[in-house]
Amino acid sequence: MVRQARSEATRRKIITSAVELFNEIGYPATGLGDIIERAEMTKGALYYHFDSKESLATAVIEEGSAHLVQAFRNITSSSAPALESIIHGVFVVADLLSTDMIARSGTQLMRAFGEFNEAAARTYGAWLAEMTACTGRAIDDGDIRSDLDPQTVGETILGSMLGAELLASATTAGADMLQRVTWTWKVLLPAIVSQESRSYFDEFLARESMRHSPASLAD
Amino acid sequence: MTQQLDRRADTTRLQILRAASRQFARKSYSSVSLDDILADAEVTKGAMYFHFRSKHALASAIIDYRFAVARTSVDELLARKLSGLETLIDISYLIAIEDIGDEFARAGLNLLESVGRTDGLQANVLGQWVTGFAAIAGKGVRDGDIMKDRAPESIASLMVSMYLGLRQTSNLADPERFLHDLEKMWTLVLPGFVNPDRIDYLNQFIKRRTAVAIKNAIPL
Repeated sequence: MVRQARSEATRRKIITSAVELFNEIGYPATGLGDIIERAEMTKGALYYHFDSKESLATAVIEEGSAHLVQAFRNITSSSAPALESIIHGVFVVADLLSTDMIARSGTQLMRAFGEFNEAAARTYGAWLAEMTACTGRAIDDGDIRSDLDPQTVGETILGSMLGAELLASATTAGADMLQRVTWTWKVLLPAIVSQESRSYFDEFLARESMRHSPASLAD
Repeated sequence: MTQQLDRRADTTRLQILRAASRQFARKSYSSVSLDDILADAEVTKGAMYFHFRSKHALASAIIDYRFAVARTSVDELLARKLSGLETLIDISYLIAIEDIGDEFARAGLNLLESVGRTDGLQANVLGQWVTGFAAIAGKGVRDGDIMKDRAPESIASLMVSMYLGLRQTSNLADPERFLHDLEKMWTLVLPGFVNPDRIDYLNQFIKRRTAVAIKNAIPL
């Protein structure tokens, strides 16, 4: 029992050190030797937990995406109308990306590995399923146009948000992420929201974006 | 071994509480007899007196239990990080839905109104609610939804009074009517403390919450 806890602590320390290094100098430039040095442990200890740099990357992807998906599900599992939850959930995930280093690093690694890593493919699949379930509910609620296909809408939202995240992290190291999320919603909403719900969601987005602006984050 | 016994005692205790809630949710405090509860819970008189010395002790325990559960639901709502006023509105709908369809919730508030009035429990529980809601209303002020010169405590008290009053004037057995009445009350009070440019959106918000609540409410 004690041993298990200690082993888990070691594993944590390795992951944290690796994430720090990935963020500082990038994944390709980080060697296992650097991680061992940063984590202040022996080569044996590292290899006991991870047999390669890629298996370490996989662990970061899995853990990071678990944090993000969990945060999103906490929002969408409520009884609030589905489209409100999708929009709010995306903002919450964007917030988390700027504070949770593992989530941030995992997202970058996922992009780097893409189809070559099973964990990355699985994560994208989980996001798509989650998003499509939500868009389906939003169509039932009457907020998303009923002539649209839930999966098409889900894929479009996910694709454009991943793109926004990519541009934000490539151009400003993530600093303008929330701004980009707002822009993306501004363009997407008129295309997918039903006529009756349009004005409500314009206002909903304005409020959401105001609450997540850097000035109000102190709250 | 003691752990196992503890667990069995907990199960029995909960079984009694559940049976009692079923009674208190449907009948007034004075017309519920301990024999009805015993028969429903299928426990012996001895087991009952081991856990609860009197009908009053049972009533207090239901109130405590219910408010611990409600606190958890409110914490979950807070974790959603909506705006302050939206959170307060959501809380009122959450409480309404549980009051409509959950025996513990209904019994808890029924008892708080009857027994709780004389033994100080009401003041204590409602006082805690008002303090908690006032903090959320304070956030509503900072969000720019609630007017700056309105005291968050007054808004919190108004909300509690409004809901408890609604229980008397409306009908919990008719969810659609009850929820529409809740909507009307909110629409009526908002201009008293909400900034004028936020009213339209919040009215829409309330209307949408009512629609969802009507869809989800299942009466006892």
